[in-house]
Amino acid sequence: MSSFFDAVSSQAFMQNAIIGGILASVACGVVGSYVVVKRIGYLAGGIAHAVLGGMGIAYYLGRPPIEGALVAALVFAVILGWVSLRMQQQEDTVIGALWSGGMAVGILFISQTPGYNVDLMSFLFGNILMISSDDLFWIASLDVLILLIVFLFYKQFLAVSFDEEFARLRGIPVERFYLLFLTLVALTVVILIQIVGLILVIALLTLPAAVSSQYVRSLNLMMLLATILGVFFTTGGLAISYQPDLPPGPTIILVAGTFYLLSLILNRFWKRA
Amino acid sequence: MDSVIKIRDLHFSYGGPKILENIEIDIQRNEFIGMVGPNGSGKTTLLKIIMGVLTPDSGTVEVLGKPPFQSVKEIGYMPQLTPFSRDFPISVEDTVLMGRLGKTSSIGFFNKADKHAAEKAMNDVGIFDLRKRVIGSLSGGQLQRVLIARALTCEPEIMILDEPTANVDMKVEKDIFDMLKQLNEKITIIVVTHDIGFISQYIHRVACINRTLICHPTSELTGETIENMYGSHVHMVHHHHEDENRI
Repeated sequence: MSSFFDAVSSQAFMQNAIIGGILASVACGVVGSYVVVKRIGYLAGGIAHAVLGGMGIAYYLGRPPIEGALVAALVFAVILGWVSLRMQQQEDTVIGALWSGGMAVGILFISQTPGYNVDLMSFLFGNILMISSDDLFWIASLDVLILLIVFLFYKQFLAVSFDEEFARLRGIPVERFYLLFLTLVALTVVILIQIVGLILVIALLTLPAAVSSQYVRSLNLMMLLATILGVFFTTGGLAISYQPDLPPGPTIILVAGTFYLLSLILNRFWKRA
Repeated sequence: MDSVIKIRDLHFSYGGPKILENIEIDIQRNEFIGMVGPNGSGKTTLLKIIMGVLTPDSGTVEVLGKPPFQSVKEIGYMPQLTPFSRDFPISVEDTVLMGRLGKTSSIGFFNKADKHAAEKAMNDVGIFDLRKRVIGSLSGGQLQRVLIARALTCEPEIMILDEPTANVDMKVEKDIFDMLKQLNEKITIIVVTHDIGFISQYIHRVACINRTLICHPTSELTGETIENMYGSHVHMVHHHHEDENRI
């Protein structure tokens, strides 16, 4: 463990990784809390995975994959939002189709890209140790954008996630806010892809908020605690993975998952006692 | 007299058979209306039209002299079933504050005036002591009061309550109607219920809906009129009640 602290104090890439984890935790804690209380984890998972299509196309065209990810995430957020509003009967089937369809497009484009074939694994599992200062800058910018929107429309987001029918009767354009919310999910997904890759995004998006929801009495506190837990999970995962040279993404997810399960069990016993 | 809801020659269908036919009613300011009718008779549909959620096939609806979608913010609404999850992390106070939407600024957090209105509403329905409690920890009767307070915080001119006492015992039901009776001094109230016998002491008129609408002053309410509405169901309702009284 001491070698981890040495690395943090001396290596720029480790410092970037830690800061990246902290910045990602902010988006995770805030947006993830909405995802958990509104129970749209599956929809968020659909957005996250379909993004591979955009990354593959961008890679094929010689552009930075993250640009493709950003565009694809926003496009899929709107499509999936529309589907869940208009086609409630087949919602899960359509999400499933777009989920794997998006990934299939990505894999095809990557396979057709001439020259040195990029390691597919780095898209799928991300690499927090490769985060550059430029990455940190735009992750921070997206954080600011997300927080700004959530502060401005706090009441509406709360009302729409708590009781949609009542919100509509109070004159809130519920569908517009739902789509706006899904674009926030899309932005968060793009941030998290840098940290843990797109396969594992959904765990980092939901687990800190899910643990947090077991202990708090308001959505604000849920977001705050989820953010703190996110920092704890990412930093903890990094520290554990450093010495044995494990991939940090999956380690972070296992730390979060273990913590979630323990918390769930603990809570059960607590309430029964 | 000053009528707050005026409906003329209203027809409605969801694309198939007629749900509501030739509805006409004038509801006066400070009236207390009980709305009764069997399941599927169009009660909730009519309420949704009054609140501008559904548009009638034909006919006119005026609420406070305006088309419904313009006046919906002046209506305090309490839904029949709680459509939210009971484990949502939210306090009583924050739930009640949500009634201020549409009355407060659209940007940022709730302000002092909102908190004040919520405080007053919670006092009016007797749940001020519960304001910090999380909604998941409330009893059925307490939760009904929270929903009434939420409907009250917009300082409405009209309150619409869809079966406000569906899941509570007889004592709580009486408490809630006593409270509504007080609120009725300032607010026009429409309440949907199946319990006609019980509410007749509180309300001024009964609107009986079964595709068509017939209004009776409470004094004219006899077993026969009720039986015409519900058909044979009315006997079941009666027996059910006697059982409850015995317990």
